[in-house]
Amino acid sequence: MDPMTFSIIRHRLFRIVDEAVITLKHVSGSAITNEGHDLMVSLYRADGTLLMGGVGFLHHLTSAAEACKAIIRRFEGQIGEGDVYLLNDPYTAALHTSDIYLVAPIHHEGRLVAWSACFVHVTDIGAMNPGGFAPQAVDIFSEGFSSPGLKLLDRGEMRQDVLDTILNMVRSPEMVSLDLRSMIACCNVARDRMGALLTKYTAPVVDEACAALVEQSEQLFRARLRALPDGQWQSRQYLDVQGETARVVLTMTKTDDRLVFDFTGSDPQSRHSINCTKWAALGGLFAPLFPLLCYDITWNEGVIRPVEMIAPEGSIVNCTRPAPVSVATVGAIQSVNNAACTTIGKMLAASTEYRDQATAVWHANHFAIFKFGANQRGGYSIGILTETFAGAGGARSFADGVDIGGEIPNPISRMANVETVEGAFPIRYLFRRRAVDSGGPGQFRGGTGGEMAIVQHRAPAGGIDYVISGKGARHPMSEGLAGGYPGAPNSYVWVHADADADLGAPDRLEAIPGTPQPVSWGVYPLRGRDALYVRWNGGGGYGDPIVREPAAVAADVTSGVVSDSAARDIYGVALAASGAVDLTTTSALRAAIRSARLAPQEASE
Amino acid sequence: MQDSPTLSYLVATDVGGTCTDTIVFGSDGGIHIGKALSTPPDFAHGVLASIQSAATPMGLTLEDLLSRTHLFVHGSTVVDNAVLTRDGARTGLITTLGFEDTLHVTRGAYGRWAGLTEGQMKHPVKTDRAAPLVPRDAVVGVAERVDCFGDVVLPLDEAAVAAAVRHLVDDKRVEAIAVSFLWSFLNPAHEARVRDIVAAAAPGTYVTLSSDIAPVPGEYERGSTAVINAYAGRITRNYLTDLASQLATRGYGGATMVMQGYGGLLPATEAADRAVGMIECGPAAGVIGAKFLGDLMGDADVIAADMGGTTFKVGVIQGGQLEYAREPMVDRFHYIAPKIEVVSIGAGGGSIVAVDPVTRLPSVGPRSAGARPGPVCYGQGGTEATLTDVMLLIGYMDPDQFLGGSITLDRAGAVAAVSRQVAEPLGLDPTAAAIGIYRIACAQITDLIREITVERGLDPRDFVLHAFGGTCGMLAAAFGEELSVRRVIIPYTASVNCAFGLISADIAHEYTTTRTLGTPAPAAEVNAIFAQMEARARAQLHAEGIEPGRQRMEWSVDLRYCRQVHEVTTQVHAATPLEPAGLARLVDDFEALYERKFGKGSAYREAGIEMTAFRLTARGLMPRPVLTVEEEGPADPAAAFMGQRPILDLTSGGMANGGIYDFTRLRPGNEVAGPAVIHTPITTIALHSGHLARMDRWRNIVVTTVS
Repeated sequence: MDPMTFSIIRHRLFRIVDEAVITLKHVSGSAITNEGHDLMVSLYRADGTLLMGGVGFLHHLTSAAEACKAIIRRFEGQIGEGDVYLLNDPYTAALHTSDIYLVAPIHHEGRLVAWSACFVHVTDIGAMNPGGFAPQAVDIFSEGFSSPGLKLLDRGEMRQDVLDTILNMVRSPEMVSLDLRSMIACCNVARDRMGALLTKYTAPVVDEACAALVEQSEQLFRARLRALPDGQWQSRQYLDVQGETARVVLTMTKTDDRLVFDFTGSDPQSRHSINCTKWAALGGLFAPLFPLLCYDITWNEGVIRPVEMIAPEGSIVNCTRPAPVSVATVGAIQSVNNAACTTIGKMLAASTEYRDQATAVWHANHFAIFKFGANQRGGYSIGILTETFAGAGGARSFADGVDIGGEIPNPISRMANVETVEGAFPIRYLFRRRAVDSGGPGQFRGGTGGEMAIVQHRAPAGGIDYVISGKGARHPMSEGLAGGYPGAPNSYVWVHADADADLGAPDRLEAIPGTPQPVSWGVYPLRGRDALYVRWNGGGGYGDPIVREPAAVAADVTSGVVSDSAARDIYGVALAASGAVDLTTTSALRAAIRSARLAPQEASE
Repeated sequence: MQDSPTLSYLVATDVGGTCTDTIVFGSDGGIHIGKALSTPPDFAHGVLASIQSAATPMGLTLEDLLSRTHLFVHGSTVVDNAVLTRDGARTGLITTLGFEDTLHVTRGAYGRWAGLTEGQMKHPVKTDRAAPLVPRDAVVGVAERVDCFGDVVLPLDEAAVAAAVRHLVDDKRVEAIAVSFLWSFLNPAHEARVRDIVAAAAPGTYVTLSSDIAPVPGEYERGSTAVINAYAGRITRNYLTDLASQLATRGYGGATMVMQGYGGLLPATEAADRAVGMIECGPAAGVIGAKFLGDLMGDADVIAADMGGTTFKVGVIQGGQLEYAREPMVDRFHYIAPKIEVVSIGAGGGSIVAVDPVTRLPSVGPRSAGARPGPVCYGQGGTEATLTDVMLLIGYMDPDQFLGGSITLDRAGAVAAVSRQVAEPLGLDPTAAAIGIYRIACAQITDLIREITVERGLDPRDFVLHAFGGTCGMLAAAFGEELSVRRVIIPYTASVNCAFGLISADIAHEYTTTRTLGTPAPAAEVNAIFAQMEARARAQLHAEGIEPGRQRMEWSVDLRYCRQVHEVTTQVHAATPLEPAGLARLVDDFEALYERKFGKGSAYREAGIEMTAFRLTARGLMPRPVLTVEEEGPADPAAAFMGQRPILDLTSGGMANGGIYDFTRLRPGNEVAGPAVIHTPITTIALHSGHLARMDRWRNIVVTTVS
């Protein structure tokens, strides 16, 4: 087709998604949507296949396509102009119950021509724990309301009985109502703007452009795959919950212009809510694949076609109903994100042309902490600790990872200011900063994670409570690449205050007076002078740490992100009292590390 | 125009990235224009050259003009330039112990992606933060703590402050220190104490307190503001001092007023200590200029679009009100200061046109050939086809009449470049390729303006569009039609619009008090907050010689729905001090504004409404320029007709014979129907069939769509 018209239509589709995202954020005024950018808006073709994916939580792009298809199957023959459908059942298409999809048909001159879909993480879904993540859930039935597809708006009219039923099942009905309204407004904008596009260019021309766009993405992606080496790469992820360790094992095979992701060997589904369904696992694969392999290609069905997934039934990445899945997005799905990032990274690192696109794992381990309770201004507050969106960048083949730089599956998140949190919740931060030695060592260092501690402050009820779904305190999850080490794991500590200790001005965990107790899973109080300490993981390193530029190690020590002992023991760099590199000792240290590696090893464990 | 010794002058000079523009406004209503190249980093040189270039055609020497000037108004990119080129002072930061990384961690990913294009955001592996203005080892934490009520939780460790100052000054050799403590905007005592300690221990060190420069919540942005101000502080102060003395040497005896990013003026002595206030003050002045014209012509809703060689900038005036930026940035650093929102993209006459080798999609920019080497057709060594070359191919530029015939444009070169870069890869002929690129440029601008207006809950169909800059006139009628704006105006002063904005601005001071008050609140409590700010403001204006009759106090309040993140600054329309009914009206106005901005159904009344900040704009009214008005004569433009040539007529989709007109020979009342082009000394106005352009009584060109 005419390349100019094609270019204009493509750009406009892009902007339609953008405008719909703006609308979504505007109407929902919630922190998780606005700060965390925990949302997604995309356009789909008439058959429900992905046409234009936006920048949001990327593991939703394929799942929402399946949601469209599920709605098409269920409502065949009854889909009217102005309808809006709701779907949040993880065994049908969604990731977990609290990420609600709204799916809306777009008609032109009476014909169904496309779909828009969006999601936000709603404030509550009526699961046994508040906020959507339910660490105490034992099955899908304890994870709140879930629907495999219902009609929320019928030809533009809200079905009030349906809405009231949903709101009757959730803890914060006004906020959930607003979440739903924001998504409806988003669907409306997408439909109006698509309508204007269709009117200006006619449905056949737009449809031709859409078909060409999908075709183009497929061709470009296949060409890229052909330019990469054939081979097989593996990754193993370990998730620990309550002392039990679950494994996600991924083997990625690239042959010519095809990619197969095979999860054979992964553990059976867990009794904890970290499992994910197959649609969620598929989304989890694509979340890193889009930005790592298709950064310059439109994210649509064309990218999906060359990819196949094998996920054994009943495993942690394809669980069987009624296994609980409410923590999936920060559980098995995130491990799938990490494993795919690693296998793709290994493939890229094996290519001279594409090595500069390879990255070690970024932010491998969210820590969903929802705090709730009466606040200092006479109201009630509930919300996520947004530090969980501030992960660490993985190291790259040409540069260190970005300290507290975010994550790949959700490229444009941010965390709230301390003052914002302290203004809304009766808590006080003792410190929040980069965590020393958290970035995975390597020739290029992984970005550092962070650490923080909070205490209650002038809470009318003497404190607040929080739901924590924290895994990964035992095993590092942000794998390194090309010899780089993984980033440090997460840590969650409840410091019980001593009876009469003065808190003082502690600026690190060890300086907080009291008795530490690790916590990770469930609902806990934060009261009196007790403190909650959280350290979150650093990014994986790239390359061998003993070839890292010694001056870079010295600079890291000066700025406080690498300790003297790590400099010496891991990087083999000796520093003089002035902080400058002692080159002679450094050479000796590095030689010693090399020969220790080459020495015959005792079999361990 | 002949000079008379009884005339006095208002001189305004705006230093932009490329050009330094001057507008001289005489007491007789005469307008004189000057232009010179900007001369970074010694900008004062270009300022004098620009004023000189205005004086010469007036038959005056620089000294003559300056000695008869009663007011000099100035805007400059000096701060933007210091930050962009990393030419500021060696700066340190003192902050609350335990939060030393706040500046460098940039609220997580925010500082990594903010300021990037969507294409760059989709490619995170190739993204990083900008190199910081303060190295991490020049940040020192000291024990102290204030809580969310402004109460002291931990006293300031003064010994630690003294040690920090010694360390920064002696070991790190810093020349400036920024201070940013948690919650300091509620209780600035600890920060103020640090200033005293620095003054005693290291006199001469430039100090900026976050509670001074940005007394608002959000420690990352507030601290970043203090850092930028400290970093660029001395350069700004030296620049303004030096400029004042250079002007004085050449006979100027009056005051200098400096434009701020929020569109108001400050006396140079005050502006010197608020470097962040000057960031992007030129584009802000441009919006003020558009607002002045809009007010004059009775248009309260204006989209101001400026397209020059490298960027396309757009600002919005709605209901006569300016839109302020929520998250302003300089380079890629966030700061908080009231600033008129001006959004820009890399699209201008110098934007390189190309076909992406991977996707085979034709595109305009964001790469630019800049002023040097510039477009191929300028013959200055440019080899890559630009949007300007495309304009030549579609007949919008006359190869022999460019810049008054001073340069003959190289048409053959332009055709060859467009062929090579666009036509051949797509299998098109060069003209078809050029038409396609023109359509794409229009579509991209349309998409941008639509997004900017949607973001504010506005509908472009309610607006008039002002087109400024050398490239905008060639596209404005086309994208204005696609946006369905009411009309497109190419103002007479389009070439020096930012300087024009300088002379239509008032002195303005902005004060903010941050406090959370639920509604309904006692009016007395709100009045007490404003009374305190008004007292400061009146004293300030008095000191500047503004008598009470020229003082205006404008109140506004930030409100939000509880548990929501969007705050909306809402103007107080009722009489002040407020009665209970006036306060109730403010809340109603907020609700209406919220729904307009964020969409139907977005209001969350159930949770209640709270006030979070109280803002006072204190104005010292300046005399407005009175523009000369001419009688509108007959519609027939025959006197300005120069002939015909083939030009792109988008309405019919191809090249058509169009009338060519000379702007300088058009008279008020003349009408030109498309397809046609009007050549002005700085731009071309392209009209497609169905467009009608009329010269109004201020010599603005007003374009409407008639069919």
